[in-house]
Amino acid sequence: MDYLRVIWTVARKDLLIEMRTRERIAAMGAFVVLVGVLFNYSIDTAIVRPQEIAPGIIWMTIILGGLLGIGRTFHLEEEDGAFSGVLQAPIPLDALYLGKTAANLVILCLVTVLIFLVFGVFFGLSFGSHPFVLLAVVFLALLGFVGLTTLFSAMSARTTMGESLLPVLVFPLLVPMVIFGVSATSRLFAGRPLSEVAGSVRMLGAFAILSVGAGAMLFRHVVEE
Amino acid sequence: MPRDRLQRTGVALAALGTLGAVLLLWMVFFWVPTERTLGIAQRIFYVHVPSAWIAFFAFGIVALCSGVYLWLRDERLDMAALAAAEGGMVFCTIMLLTGPLWARVSWGTWWTWEPRLVLTLLLWFVYFSYFLVRNATENPDQGKRFAAVVGIVGVLDIPLIHVSVTWMRSLHPQPVVLRSDGPALDPDMLITLMVGLATATTLFLGLFLMRYTVECLKREVDQRRTGAQAAQGA
Amino acid sequence: MSDPALSAAREPDPFGSPTPALEARGLVREFAGFPAVDGIDFQLGVGRLLTVVGPNGAGKTTLLRILAGGLRPTKGHVLLDGKAVDVGDREWRRRIGVVSHQGFLYGQLTAAENLEFYGRLFGLSDLAERVPERLAAVGLEDRSRSVVRTLSRGMRQRLALARALLHDPEVVLLDEPYTGLDAHAAAVLNGVLASLKDGCRTVVLVTHNLGQGLELADRVAIQVGGRFRWIDDRDRVDGATFEAFYRNVVEERA
Repeated sequence: MDYLRVIWTVARKDLLIEMRTRERIAAMGAFVVLVGVLFNYSIDTAIVRPQEIAPGIIWMTIILGGLLGIGRTFHLEEEDGAFSGVLQAPIPLDALYLGKTAANLVILCLVTVLIFLVFGVFFGLSFGSHPFVLLAVVFLALLGFVGLTTLFSAMSARTTMGESLLPVLVFPLLVPMVIFGVSATSRLFAGRPLSEVAGSVRMLGAFAILSVGAGAMLFRHVVEE
Repeated sequence: MPRDRLQRTGVALAALGTLGAVLLLWMVFFWVPTERTLGIAQRIFYVHVPSAWIAFFAFGIVALCSGVYLWLRDERLDMAALAAAEGGMVFCTIMLLTGPLWARVSWGTWWTWEPRLVLTLLLWFVYFSYFLVRNATENPDQGKRFAAVVGIVGVLDIPLIHVSVTWMRSLHPQPVVLRSDGPALDPDMLITLMVGLATATTLFLGLFLMRYTVECLKREVDQRRTGAQAAQGA
Repeated sequence: MSDPALSAAREPDPFGSPTPALEARGLVREFAGFPAVDGIDFQLGVGRLLTVVGPNGAGKTTLLRILAGGLRPTKGHVLLDGKAVDVGDREWRRRIGVVSHQGFLYGQLTAAENLEFYGRLFGLSDLAERVPERLAAVGLEDRSRSVVRTLSRGMRQRLALARALLHDPEVVLLDEPYTGLDAHAAAVLNGVLASLKDGCRTVVLVTHNLGQGLELADRVAIQVGGRFRWIDDRDRVDGATFEAFYRNVVEERA
């Protein structure tokens, strides 16, 4: 009970700050819409149909846009040393990690909805006939992604290299998310039978559990002074 | 074990490994028969496969030592992880250099999305970030912890990456397939491969122990230097 | 080592309770082999205030961070009520409050929201009454709905004090609390220190300024080069001798 209260308190505080400043949402939102525009001009529609490569581009946009915003998670905390104050509190640090991950997940979900809307309109995509399976695929992939990036953004914020370190740290680890996420969304968009997607959903679930579990386990070693 | 003995063992193993490497080269170039379908280029296999094995074996050591280091905070574990990571990265690089050479001759292309090759490339980048975070902090203890976290997350994620790149490949079969369940190796080839594996392992262990003792000495020097500075300042 | 002040460091606190509220035993903390804190021992009874003076780089902040449980000592222990505590001990954190020159406040949250956030993290249940009461105590009752970023520096400092003491810690650690305070905030701080002593709180105050915090102190220490070069009861120390000794050790070091 105490544990859930900490998660909720931390997540609520982060979302409240995000609602006040809209810093990260604005940057990520503008980024993804503009990627959509550039994407349109980066392919020759006489040769390639945008619909065919859209799932891959959608996932790459989520990753790059996500890093842009989530990489800043701990910069917000550094101002006036607020995070040291939080670390002084008698709270389990894994709950602190889960709270920050939850807030990041909500923010990234909003941005992802925007990506699907914008890309859907721009390129006339059909999202297939299984909206709930698509939701599950996207949710699990985002959960895994946010789990890893929240952990590593805590790390990169404490290095001299800052955010430039983040892609090097997380990209190699995101291969499962890209492969299974793109495969599942492509098949759902193309209206293929659900049995072709089931394996990907399971693997995305494993990826999500692994990354959030590792984050919760290791976060305390990252934020220790 | 006292450091002197570790160092002597390391030097002995490394010397043994070097002798083994000479023997291996002789066997590869003059002794082992040429594979019928893959041709002369297949001989690189005896360097390539042992390197890959060491790259992953060393990462196992890195992750194990990192995990226990975070738990016990014993400097020796961090030094062992560092020594294993440096050795592992060398063999990982060898694997990545020999792989495309083989691919160019056998498959006619420098790069192929062969799952084991991709996996090793990603492993190389995990090693790379391991060293990057280690040196990117002002407080060295923090760098050690960060590196340990990278090692642990890496070892957890690598099986999943392996599954995904293998699964990906099953979707997009390559024009030329090297089947792992292919015809059984010729006994001479098997012997050469075993010599290769033994050589690489001995060489790695030797380098590992030598690197470990060097790191011990380096930290002792650092400590004495700061100690002397502190004494001078007092 | 022949200095009489040093031998005083080993004597038990004559006025303290049998078990000191806060005790440091052989604390050492090294950064990359360099000892920032190099063997510090002291005992501090309930309701007593220890002021540690020292030049910059003496390891005072490191000492305070170890006492606060934020930093693992390389050697030695911190004891709270005679029991050794370890980094990550949540009970320890519940009983300790830290005031630093940083405010630990979120600029985008209001004064009340900041206190409520920290109050929830400390598991306080009476926030509806406690928060307005504490804001009033530091003279911010009419600014509770103002976003911290819009408050003046002095107001933020007072809010930071209210934040640090929100959970009524038994042990209060202050790191250069006077740095950059305006007159009003300094007066509030002095009032707070006096009330902490009345309320039997144990206080450690760290500063590089000889003139500050000495009048309220029960014990005073001089920290140079990671060690206590002097520790004694305040009323056994004559100001001029103390000052001369301080200048002496600092210069000898420089």
